[in-house]
Amino acid sequence: MTPYLIVSALLFSIGFAGVLTRRNAILVLVGVELMLNAANLNFVAFWRHGPNPAALDGVMFVVFAIAVAAAEAAVGLALVIAIHRHCRSGNVDEASGMKG
Amino acid sequence: MNVDHARLLGLLAPECLVVFTALAALFADLRFWKHRTPGQRSHRTAIVLTLGFGAAATLLGLMGNTTANLAGGTLVLSPLSQHLKIVLLLFAIVTAWLCTETRFTRHVGEFMALLGLATAGMMFLVGTENLLMVFVALELVSLSLYAMTAFDKRSPRSAEAALRYFLFGGTAAAFTLFGFSLFYGVGGSIHLPTLAVSIARHAGDPLVLVAIVFVLAGFGFKIAAVPFHAWAPDAYEGAPAPTAAFIASGSKIAGFLVLGKLLQVGLPAAAGSGAWKAFAPGWMAVVALLAAASMVFGNLAALAQTNLRRLLAYSAIAHAGYALLALVGGSQPALLYFVVTYALAVVGMFGVVAVVENRTGNGSIAGLAGLRERSPLLAGVTTVFLLSLAGIPPLAGFLGKFLAFVAAAKQGTALGYGWLVALALGMSCVSLYYYLQVLKQVWVVPAETRDPLRGGTVVGGLLAALAVAVVVAGCMPEPLLDFLR
Repeated sequence: MTPYLIVSALLFSIGFAGVLTRRNAILVLVGVELMLNAANLNFVAFWRHGPNPAALDGVMFVVFAIAVAAAEAAVGLALVIAIHRHCRSGNVDEASGMKG
Repeated sequence: MNVDHARLLGLLAPECLVVFTALAALFADLRFWKHRTPGQRSHRTAIVLTLGFGAAATLLGLMGNTTANLAGGTLVLSPLSQHLKIVLLLFAIVTAWLCTETRFTRHVGEFMALLGLATAGMMFLVGTENLLMVFVALELVSLSLYAMTAFDKRSPRSAEAALRYFLFGGTAAAFTLFGFSLFYGVGGSIHLPTLAVSIARHAGDPLVLVAIVFVLAGFGFKIAAVPFHAWAPDAYEGAPAPTAAFIASGSKIAGFLVLGKLLQVGLPAAAGSGAWKAFAPGWMAVVALLAAASMVFGNLAALAQTNLRRLLAYSAIAHAGYALLALVGGSQPALLYFVVTYALAVVGMFGVVAVVENRTGNGSIAGLAGLRERSPLLAGVTTVFLLSLAGIPPLAGFLGKFLAFVAAAKQGTALGYGWLVALALGMSCVSLYYYLQVLKQVWVVPAETRDPLRGGTVVGGLLAALAVAVVVAGCMPEPLLDFLR
């Protein structure tokens, strides 16, 4: 059980570090996906080793989370394209018309 | 787990009707009204949405006192959930009509469809006690709102605001999901009341505390509490006015309700304490700190704003702090009354912003100069909304704050949360300054032009109705308080 949690904690941390340090919106999105998948790994591990693997709560959660993550990526890429049309760049900090 | 599908469909009829209305508006706009002007199209789709959502609200009214608990807490109906859904539908209708005041897009049908889907997500959010359903509904709301924020394709700010909103929101969703996975691991269930029982056995478990912090980080984003607020000023400034109004009203109400349910139904055993000199680890301590940070930062940052929308965003951050006070107080009626009356005033303000920006193209506070001469109606409703936000009796905002502060003061022993209430009172006084700055522009500063400024008849009527609602809810709070109990 513990190894799974260590791996998922690492995945989450790596993803979050990516979100905080990357400047390209698509790479930030990759970081978010890593964080979501860390949570998915947790769900599967807790389900498999939990007291009640006959109830499919954990797996169901993962299936839905994957679908939601896919929808999120679609919306995110659409937004990246929208911003690219305006400023020809995928960088988060080059687009900074708003301050304050 | 056996589910009676016919019964499920019957109980979900309002939600089905909302989704059907959204798709009908999209279809009608694309099929029949494609060659009309955007103004006509937004009027017609707004009428379709009003009829559909009105029918759904009537259906909810007829369901009245129905209570149900289906599929292990996936769908939980109570009189309160019915009433909140009606409130959310009313805010969605107002948002739809605000679209007729602005010309931000030619794709009216798509915008209205997204508005309907976001509303359906909020309705599901209100009626569930299941973590999976909470997550999926939350994402349905968020994804629709991201797209609605980016809808003004001519404006680079709209796209930029949406991207920031999305990146913050995606990270927050990941935090929420990770927190939920830890709750599932500790509690062995995703059904909130079941979870509460098993978490009570592991109350001091560090894993529970980590999960609480993760989930509060995720929801802190949704309600725009400091330090998860950075998206709010940009989103409020860049988004089309109707979207900003909906983010500030519907999404706020649903977010606070779910957060309250999660903490009070799911985690009463891990409350801890945020009382003075008696801090104990648990969600109370974290929520108290979030509230303090939001009130201080929101109010102080609002002082420096020159753009009306950014001012409203920082005022929203401050109001998130006051609402968290009601959450600390553990009083659900106080929380809901506060959030609903806040939403009434802020939707009204965004209505004024929509009309003024559409006619003058000026979004700064100075753009309101001389509103008294140019449009007495707009000047009057602006005064009511802003004074309510500032918390002046007898308007609804005063009573909302009063109930929230009293709830927090009663919590704990020996006025343990007195520090938080004192801070809230002090910060409310600070907030009066920036609201009055706006009102000074409206009433004192002369206008450069005396051209009359008029919104559409329906929007003018809606704004007047919202102002009357703010006054009535403040003078006679019992009907609304009973409605939200």
